[in-house]
Amino acid sequence: MWKRRGRALAVLAASFAIIAAGPADSPVNVPEPDGLWTGPARGYTPATLQGARVVDLDGLDALIARDKPVLIDVALADQRPTNFPADRPWLPTHRSIPGSVWMPNAGAAPLDPRQEAVFLSRVEALTGGDRTRAVVTFCRPECWGSWNAGKRLLSAGYANVYWYPDGIEGWQDRHPTTATKPDPAWEARPRLDRPGEPLR
Amino acid sequence: MKHLAARRLALAIGLSVPVLAGIAAAGPVLALGAGDDDSERLARWKEIQTTIFGDRKVESTDTLVSIDAPGRAMDASLVPITLSMPQKDKIAGLHLVIDDNPSPYAAKFTFGPAADPSEIKLRVRVNNYTNVHAVAETKDGKLMEAVRFVKASGGCSAPMGMSDEEAMKGMGDMRMKFAGEANPGKSLEATLMIRHPNFSGMQMNQVTRDYTPARYITKVEVSRGSSRIFTLDGDISIASNPVIGFSFIPEGQEPIRVVAVDNQNGRWEHSFTAPTASN
Repeated sequence: MWKRRGRALAVLAASFAIIAAGPADSPVNVPEPDGLWTGPARGYTPATLQGARVVDLDGLDALIARDKPVLIDVALADQRPTNFPADRPWLPTHRSIPGSVWMPNAGAAPLDPRQEAVFLSRVEALTGGDRTRAVVTFCRPECWGSWNAGKRLLSAGYANVYWYPDGIEGWQDRHPTTATKPDPAWEARPRLDRPGEPLR
Repeated sequence: MKHLAARRLALAIGLSVPVLAGIAAAGPVLALGAGDDDSERLARWKEIQTTIFGDRKVESTDTLVSIDAPGRAMDASLVPITLSMPQKDKIAGLHLVIDDNPSPYAAKFTFGPAADPSEIKLRVRVNNYTNVHAVAETKDGKLMEAVRFVKASGGCSAPMGMSDEEAMKGMGDMRMKFAGEANPGKSLEATLMIRHPNFSGMQMNQVTRDYTPARYITKVEVSRGSSRIFTLDGDISIASNPVIGFSFIPEGQEPIRVVAVDNQNGRWEHSFTAPTASN
């Protein structure tokens, strides 16, 4: 009873939060949120990320050839259905841009501070502590995760953040992808109480 | 009207209708990337093959089965697939595998004596650019494979654009359409439509941020009288509101009986009056 009421309230609260966040019903002129985007993970994203450069596939190709950027993939991992039968094959695979580091759901917001620290320390290690090193964040089209990840890096003082909104889909339009495992350090991050926690 | 309402609801909760079409429209179909990509995909297929068929040999075929699918799908949660088996008298069953789906074993058809297995149509979810394999099982126990590359992405986790309650309305309702009259000695095409959300368990409710539990059809049995047409063992890779095209030999007077069950102990049974070939 209490649980049900609590759930109903949570739904109600979520609806208000989303209305307050002003979800975009058109891909045109989606405004940048003030801080991180805490609304639904899927949805139209802005054309810009202030402080970062937005690249398309041509731009990314050129950037990779020139600057050898650190490529950060924050696409969500496939969620194994909780009631999926044990006797059926469950073989999730994640194909990404070759050479990228996959930290599933690292663009969630809000993110537990301990998890955020793991994300930032991973990027620090990958850039060799060089805040001017080019870093590209991506996930999939209409996915806020990479926008948030880019925003986090800007806040952490990275000077050359690139956001690639077309993500894996955009990449595989022209290039091969490679089966990619989650980053081991990210996988070892402190977990929240709920396994398989969705993007919040 | 209903559609409009659903769409408005979708917009109201800030859910974007999966817009892959924008990407899908661009550019010519490009050849598969070379090298690593190909060998990785082959290794993946071998892994799945072993999981499903054990150490049974799977041979390539140009003649026993072929796959028709859009090279680029407009909607990854609703990709139409046509499987053709022109040498129908040799075919006992058919396995459909979508390699890069997390649950790759999409469907298994077992044909009965009342079937004409020359063509099967269905709609599936495709999670990522992937090879799709059809493996025909012959009556003499051989496994023969055909492959096709399909460009679509995000189909397994794409929300339905309506509430779960709305998606489950009328669950288990069925319709069957027949392509014309029955003629002696000729098979007849039929289309079975089942109302069922076939929740994949990978779809997130955008308001509550919870995953809708998997609820999907696990088995569909279609028979006429005591004669089986086909049995389908299904999976979360079958699109919501399954539509299955098949052919049967229109003999006998009995109606066609369909029994569908899902993984939550749902069971639905319907009978359809079918055309009969009169001599």
